[in-house]
Amino acid sequence: MISKPNRLAWVFGWLLALASMPASANLNVFACEPEWASLVSALLPDANITTATTAWQDPHYIEARPSLIAAMRKADLAVCTGASLEAGWLPSLISRAANRKIQPGSDGLFFAADHAPLHQSHDHVDRSMGDVHPEGDPHLHLSPDAIPLVASALAERLVSLAPDQQAQIQVRYIRWRGEWNQQRQSWRSAARQLEGTGVVTQHSTFDYLLRWLGIEVIADLEPKPGLPPGSTHLRNVLATPELGRASVIMVASYQDDRPARWLSAQSGVPAIVLPGTVTGQPDGETLEQVISLIINTLLNYQEPTNVD
Amino acid sequence: MRFTRLQAGLFSTLLVPFASAQANEINPDISVVLDGYYKQNATALSHRDEGFGLGHTELSLSAPIDDLFTGRLTAVLEEHHGETEVALEEAYLQTTGMPWNLSVRGGRFLSQVGYLNSRHMHEDNFVERPAAYRALLGSHYFDDGLRVNLLMPTPFFWQIGAEAFNGNRLTEGDEDIGVYTLNTRFGGDIGVSQSWQAGLSYLRNRQLHGDEHGDDHDDHGHDEHDHDHSHAAAYTGENLYIADLVWKWSPDGNTRQQQLTLSGEYLYADELNEHARSSDYHQGWYTSAVYRFTPQWSVGARYGRVDLKEAHGDHFHDQQLKETDVMLAWSRSHFSTLRLQYTHQSAHGFDDADNTVTLQYVMTFGAHGAHDF
Repeated sequence: MISKPNRLAWVFGWLLALASMPASANLNVFACEPEWASLVSALLPDANITTATTAWQDPHYIEARPSLIAAMRKADLAVCTGASLEAGWLPSLISRAANRKIQPGSDGLFFAADHAPLHQSHDHVDRSMGDVHPEGDPHLHLSPDAIPLVASALAERLVSLAPDQQAQIQVRYIRWRGEWNQQRQSWRSAARQLEGTGVVTQHSTFDYLLRWLGIEVIADLEPKPGLPPGSTHLRNVLATPELGRASVIMVASYQDDRPARWLSAQSGVPAIVLPGTVTGQPDGETLEQVISLIINTLLNYQEPTNVD
Repeated sequence: MRFTRLQAGLFSTLLVPFASAQANEINPDISVVLDGYYKQNATALSHRDEGFGLGHTELSLSAPIDDLFTGRLTAVLEEHHGETEVALEEAYLQTTGMPWNLSVRGGRFLSQVGYLNSRHMHEDNFVERPAAYRALLGSHYFDDGLRVNLLMPTPFFWQIGAEAFNGNRLTEGDEDIGVYTLNTRFGGDIGVSQSWQAGLSYLRNRQLHGDEHGDDHDDHGHDEHDHDHSHAAAYTGENLYIADLVWKWSPDGNTRQQQLTLSGEYLYADELNEHARSSDYHQGWYTSAVYRFTPQWSVGARYGRVDLKEAHGDHFHDQQLKETDVMLAWSRSHFSTLRLQYTHQSAHGFDDADNTVTLQYVMTFGAHGAHDF
């Protein structure tokens, strides 16, 4: 029998032992969105990665829930989008996890948006414009030009946190970069067919890619960024004369597709749901695959009009 | 040469705020909460008067202080019987650089007992806190003190924390440390679409030695008396125990589109004063269900009751309040909410219990608020 104070001491000793266990050699990485998890695993495959969101979850609206605090507690590195995309939950997670490695300004917190130029930055924003981020559009993860900049900075950061793996990380980065450039060539040739066409979107999720492809966004189903599509706005979109030029209405996997379906039924423009990011499914395990999937889908919807 | 460089530096510092919105990063995050309402009838144990009124109007500033501390200041303006009260609800610093996932908070802040107490009122889904909170914690208990929290090195979320407070904002007294609290929370996910959190809290009130409290024989309407000044709890005990449980569900975990939140708390207080026998205790609980069925609309229902002992010299009078709330809320954006609520009260020992309809708005501007669980 253990007497009460002894038992307490025993429990406390056990907890201390747990706390002081040597950190496993593998880096613990907290990825805010799945695209950054896929980049980290391309550069450092044996990292223990926790991904806070999925392609079916809107990254603006995550809650700082207990499981995420627990994951942030043990992280050596957090990789997030930044540019206020996670403004509603990341600061709260960081504060509640009280992990001194992951603090603003420290090496343990990596923001992708800090390493690439952003579209649509604003000198003045107020919320009558919708939930507009002054830093610019944070949805840069489908940008063929921005991602290599992010990957290069991420490789550098991983090297600084795992210096013993410097050579391997650099080799993997060079290989990743080669594959990305090759893919970009094929996207570039697809872009020649897509350039000048138009689409309808919902939020700016695909905007970086569309801009890169030279595709015009004819209308946005959201009346203002961050506001859900309402019937008045949908009717206005339906009345837009340019709507006839749209080849598709694009909705991301985490968005409600009913407004798009309604508009599609009214206008005859097909509505398609596309992965907003890496899904983990066979055709969406990496950003290259997701971008290829989106481009191929857009090409498929292009051809009938070309035949006409 | 040096002078001109200094001048240029000063000049550019002055110009930065005008040059770009991103320069905001140097300045504190400022947020304002506007809370106003129309309430048809007065109700028991309420902190909101009938008619048009302002609720919890809040101005909050927060920022990192340096690489080791962050700080927050929250001033609250409240209207009671035509008088505007300004209260400092939060003025604290918190550490960010402690080892072993320790964090220390010092200054004035909301105690972390229970589920609702540490949350800001404008995040609530109903116009007022449950009756048990209004009676036993004055809706939300904040005070001057020190908090130490530790996240345990477990694969799931497990936090333990202790707070020491002055205590005068709960009960006036002479103790240096009038109140201390212990709190633990656990939580996790069940699959991708469900998450939960459970907590246990203990609050020790060391200023209830039966001296002043309980001898206010003339003061029959405790609740009435109480809204004039600070929201000190109208009913107290030396020991307060709270158990809380929250469960949330969203299809695919996508909280943007839909979310169902079930929550409940149980509060128990004993050792009410020196005349209290073992059968004299306060007890209350509530359970609430809120369903946000589209990004902009949510409905909710809450039922709660509280059984109280009102002190009269050396004996107690039983009081009981049962409350049912039903609400419908619309949020144009993430930052605005209009709420229509019907409250039904049935009471024993409260003269002012009534049913009421309340229409409320809660609007925030400035820094993006936190989506806490």
